[in-house]
Amino acid sequence: MMSRLLETFSARHLVYLVVLLAVTVPLLLNTRLTHTASDETKRFYANIDSLPSGSVVLMSFDFEASAFAEIKPLAEAVLHHCFRQNLRVIGLSLFAEGTALGEQTLSRIAGETGKAYGTDYVYLGFRPQYTSAILAIGESLPKEFPTDYFGVATATMPVLSGVTNYDQIATVISITDGGMPTYWVDYAVTRYHARLQTVLTATMATSFYPYVSSGQIQGLIAGLKGAAEYELLLNESGGGGRGLLAQSVSQVAILAIIVVGNVVGYLGRRRKWQ
Amino acid sequence: MTNRLAWIATLVTGLFMVAQYFIKTNATNAIYSTLLDYYQIIFAVSMIVGGIGLLKQHSLKVQRSSQRRGYSIVTIAAILFMVIAAGIFGTGATSPYQWAFNNLQAPMQATTFSLLAFFVASAAYRGFRVKSTPAFVLALAAVIVLVGKSGFGEMISQQLPAMAGWVLNNPSTAAKRGILIGVGIGSVATALRVILGIERSYR
Amino acid sequence: MQRVCCRVFFALPHVFVDLARSAKHVSLAFGFVGDTVNSFFLAAGVFDPASLVLLIWVLLTCGAVACFSYRRRVSRLRLRAIPGIAAIEEAVGRATEQGKPIVFTTGWGGDIQRPTTLAALNLLRFVAGKAASYGCRILFPTHDPVIAEAAKEIIRTAYNEAGHPDQFREDDVTFVSPSQFGYASGVDGIVSRQKPGAIFLFGTFEGEALILAETGNINGALQIAGTDSTIQLSFFIVACDYTLIGEELYTASAYLTDDRRVQSSMYAQDLIRAVLVALLLLLPILAMFGVNLFKEIL
Repeated sequence: MMSRLLETFSARHLVYLVVLLAVTVPLLLNTRLTHTASDETKRFYANIDSLPSGSVVLMSFDFEASAFAEIKPLAEAVLHHCFRQNLRVIGLSLFAEGTALGEQTLSRIAGETGKAYGTDYVYLGFRPQYTSAILAIGESLPKEFPTDYFGVATATMPVLSGVTNYDQIATVISITDGGMPTYWVDYAVTRYHARLQTVLTATMATSFYPYVSSGQIQGLIAGLKGAAEYELLLNESGGGGRGLLAQSVSQVAILAIIVVGNVVGYLGRRRKWQ
Repeated sequence: MTNRLAWIATLVTGLFMVAQYFIKTNATNAIYSTLLDYYQIIFAVSMIVGGIGLLKQHSLKVQRSSQRRGYSIVTIAAILFMVIAAGIFGTGATSPYQWAFNNLQAPMQATTFSLLAFFVASAAYRGFRVKSTPAFVLALAAVIVLVGKSGFGEMISQQLPAMAGWVLNNPSTAAKRGILIGVGIGSVATALRVILGIERSYR
Repeated sequence: MQRVCCRVFFALPHVFVDLARSAKHVSLAFGFVGDTVNSFFLAAGVFDPASLVLLIWVLLTCGAVACFSYRRRVSRLRLRAIPGIAAIEEAVGRATEQGKPIVFTTGWGGDIQRPTTLAALNLLRFVAGKAASYGCRILFPTHDPVIAEAAKEIIRTAYNEAGHPDQFREDDVTFVSPSQFGYASGVDGIVSRQKPGAIFLFGTFEGEALILAETGNINGALQIAGTDSTIQLSFFIVACDYTLIGEELYTASAYLTDDRRVQSSMYAQDLIRAVLVALLLLLPILAMFGVNLFKEIL
């Protein structure tokens, strides 16, 4: 039976089956792993924590629906922290798909924390062509966004009072699943000396470590593990901790796949020599 | 003549955008702001052109009764539904547009994204074959980072997350920096060749 | 020989100290010049003095590229062999022999103004030229309508120049979707249905890179990839037959074209890289002797 199974299914199919089981079974168990926060999460947390009350945070929801499952716990944790610190949050999106998702997330967390629209937070909506949008914010935020996502004039909103460009923004947080932080660094940080932090999916995180160590990105958290660590620092529970076991088991499963692949390869080579 | 005009426009705009980065006067700032607005308008119009092109392409497939016209019919129906739904009912939280986005598009996109998990595993199965010393070092680094960055890393050893961090922040970052420097120089050279008209897609 | 090595070894500390002293003078000179320039431009209110170092680097880099590109006499160039670039023509030939089409795509991560996309479109010109001359069909799915139009022109011109204008099909250049995984699904569908003999993945890729590469791998196509994204490079190296790493993508057009200006500009790139490497070696050594020129020079 084993040999018939092996004839029908190639090694690739077996690999897929192992990954499927490694991800779904832990999700059904509903167990949380114990862990501590890493240095990079602590640095991101400290950057937000050190901002005085009333500071302005520009939060850009630059992701697509595909990554929402991974990004959502991170975005929620960071928003909880910002509202807890009584920071003024300006939300916007440079990706069309992230527009509605960003607005939903921002409104929900603001509602949970009792924040008022227009006074504590605002959502400016989507601007096409992210390069020119980032540059235009550096010239004049009110000119680039004369109205918010709902069509209300931004000129008289208390949350935006005194905010002209990046000089008045304490930190920019790019919540993204792709290479957007590169553009924020190239245009906002290099030209306008904005202070940038980034929230990423795990796959993209390693691309931006060079920017973190050079100081161009001041803080970085990524993936479900980053979300779980941030929730730990906030002393809250959320989606990050829930998904961490599934992610960890699947990582170990991939490790096992690598080992099995090498054993299979070695046995095959030995058989050939013999 | 048209090509020469295109080249002159490219040269002048390219040089101006470089110059205005350093020279900040009211005039350059005003021109710069206007160009940024034009940039966004062109992008928005290009999306409309793209949408119309997509409709036209799939309409032709339906007209020609091609083998897969069913998919083209679904594509056209989906585009028209979203446009009409957004136009009539808006894009609010309870609108049909938002319902379709949350319940159709988002799950489909997440499903395609999830393929990555399976493909990473099959790529790892093929890619981490230890046949030489460098391959062994690569596999060792992969093991350290995989376990160290997972939730089990701290349970196995307190040193594992630190080792994983060291691998990511030192040799990995150093290699990435080298590539980034080369990419940066290449980008400058390519952009300059385009601005100067040495390399152009139009003839 | 031994004596020479000993002399050099014992002379090294003195050389470094002398260098450090000179660098200190240079640093003071920089400071003086910098202060003078600062005062002038602050008074004029035109130029941000903080950008002076960047301006110098821009002028040096652009000047070097421009000068080398327009040099009248160009000495014979010896270019390092890059397997991925040499394989491009082989891939087109292989697809032609198999009677299969070629798929060329520039990734979701970049739009038309990105240098990587421009470099990819330059490569497309070469690939389309070869495909047209061999009579091979070329499919170009993309996420951006502007890139689609540019590619259409390039491929149409290639077929016209090869004398086969009737073989060009406008439908083969498709704007699939601006959404990342809509685009990935579309390209995967094209690859799975058309079963191309060769797939070219040149440009800026993000999460969709491995999905595209693995699908091509499953379908048995010869794959050549090149991207500026460091994380996606790893995936391409595993899943593709040939990969152009980083700058190799930008220099590919120099390898494939007869344009001496493009080839000469590679000299400039190498020169700038040599200067950077020299600075990266020298500056930390000087910093050890207390002369910190990082901010002044970099």
